[in-house]
Amino acid sequence: MIDQAITPEIVAANLFGLAGKTILVTGASKGLGQQTAKYLAAAGAMLVICGRDQQRLEQTLTSLAGIGHRSIIAELTDMDKLMNVAVECGKIDGVVHCAGIRGLSPMKLVSEAHLSEVMATNYISPVMLTRHLLAKQLIVNGGSIIFMSSVAALSGTVGVGPYAGSKAALIGVMRPMALELARRKIRVNTLCPALVETTLTTEDRPWFDEISKRYPLGVGQPEDIAQACLYLLSDASRAVTGTVFAMDGGLEYA
Amino acid sequence: MTERIAAITPPFNGTENFVLKGRTIIVTGASSGIGKAVAILCASLGATLVINGRSEERLQAVLDQLYGTGHQKVIGDLTEPDTREALIAAAPLYDGLAYCAGAASLAPVRMANEKHLQQMLSVNYLAPASLTQRLLYKKKLNNGASLVYVTALASRACPSASAGYAASKAALESYIRTLALEQGKQNIRATYVAPGYVDTPMLESLGTMIDMDKQSDLTPMGKIESTDIAPGVVYLLSPASRWVTRSILTIDGGLSIAMRL
Repeated sequence: MIDQAITPEIVAANLFGLAGKTILVTGASKGLGQQTAKYLAAAGAMLVICGRDQQRLEQTLTSLAGIGHRSIIAELTDMDKLMNVAVECGKIDGVVHCAGIRGLSPMKLVSEAHLSEVMATNYISPVMLTRHLLAKQLIVNGGSIIFMSSVAALSGTVGVGPYAGSKAALIGVMRPMALELARRKIRVNTLCPALVETTLTTEDRPWFDEISKRYPLGVGQPEDIAQACLYLLSDASRAVTGTVFAMDGGLEYA
Repeated sequence: MTERIAAITPPFNGTENFVLKGRTIIVTGASSGIGKAVAILCASLGATLVINGRSEERLQAVLDQLYGTGHQKVIGDLTEPDTREALIAAAPLYDGLAYCAGAASLAPVRMANEKHLQQMLSVNYLAPASLTQRLLYKKKLNNGASLVYVTALASRACPSASAGYAASKAALESYIRTLALEQGKQNIRATYVAPGYVDTPMLESLGTMIDMDKQSDLTPMGKIESTDIAPGVVYLLSPASRWVTRSILTIDGGLSIAMRL
């Protein structure tokens, strides 16, 4: 009665894998976006990767397992070009918005320019890109949209105001979007990771090493984010929408 | 040169860490509903299981369906210490716990007497807490063990007549978060899945007090089955979620989106 030929590996690949699906990953030149793209490709997805740095994007592209992947070089804050990015992307089963920047400033000194810049990259761009994909009917029924928010949207750290505001905005916009898309069975969710080891976060190595000590399970690796994305993009999470999923290695104080 | 080699050789297939081979996992409430779906899925992913339920017949039926060998059953009610000890003693060490056993009973607050409140607490909070305490005290958890509990959206949504039930699940959630903080340094994780309205015998037993069709209509993504919950539990049990602890995974088809939780 039980088919012994269906091995655990096959079960995992069918349930959590992405064979036959096309996924857009922004911010794929490095860090979270790059490793996420690699995992999704290894799990059978066709990738459309997007980034600003042509050379690094090409490196990511060649590193992806499988064939048929494409890259789009684009500055996602260029609102005039964003619709073109969506059209060039074509039909997709899911999107992971990894493109984002830091936003560090004490709040009594922050400039409006910096606040706007952080908001534009971290909130306006992913939301408008999603808007264009939806307007052009490029996200299929049953698709999955992931916004990369942050633990900073759920807890406070001195100096992180502009970043925290932009990441919290994603949580707010996710809910109406999830309701609007539910009838087409398109899920919308946010990931809220804490500190993940990337070139961005390890720039200040002493700071990074010091902060790492606060994490009972250690800091995150891009693979942790990538695998959470696999769960949220695959059919395993069919009934999951409008959620905030925090991943923080057991951190008590951010 | 090494970059190019790395590019040629796919080092993995992306989903390996969702496999549960070599992991011994307790699944409670495995006779029916969510627990049954979790047990079947865990076994199909290669786990060795110790399954628990109160009904010998239904538990055996689940055992017969499981992929792989070496699984065991421990029959009994988890509110009884003997059952908990028997479950703990069934294997030398555990890599996971999927606590799916629970009971739902509805009563508006003016009718929810102490007996009702205690009954909800006993099944939904004290039983899982006591099992957990004993697992830790007896050092039965391997490094890298993952403890996953099925709580409920109700703990935050608090619909009418759910005070006893909601409070019992909320108690468990606070317990789990504390546990996760304490055990992080031991590389033992604790998380919980909060389902919305799932078509299970437990909700069926509430009869006309819950209109499942109405709840499905209200749920943006439509009806939720136990097989929608099980993959979330498995993700949290597996090495794929090795960095996730003290977190909640809500699987409710979007029902709570419009609620101020």
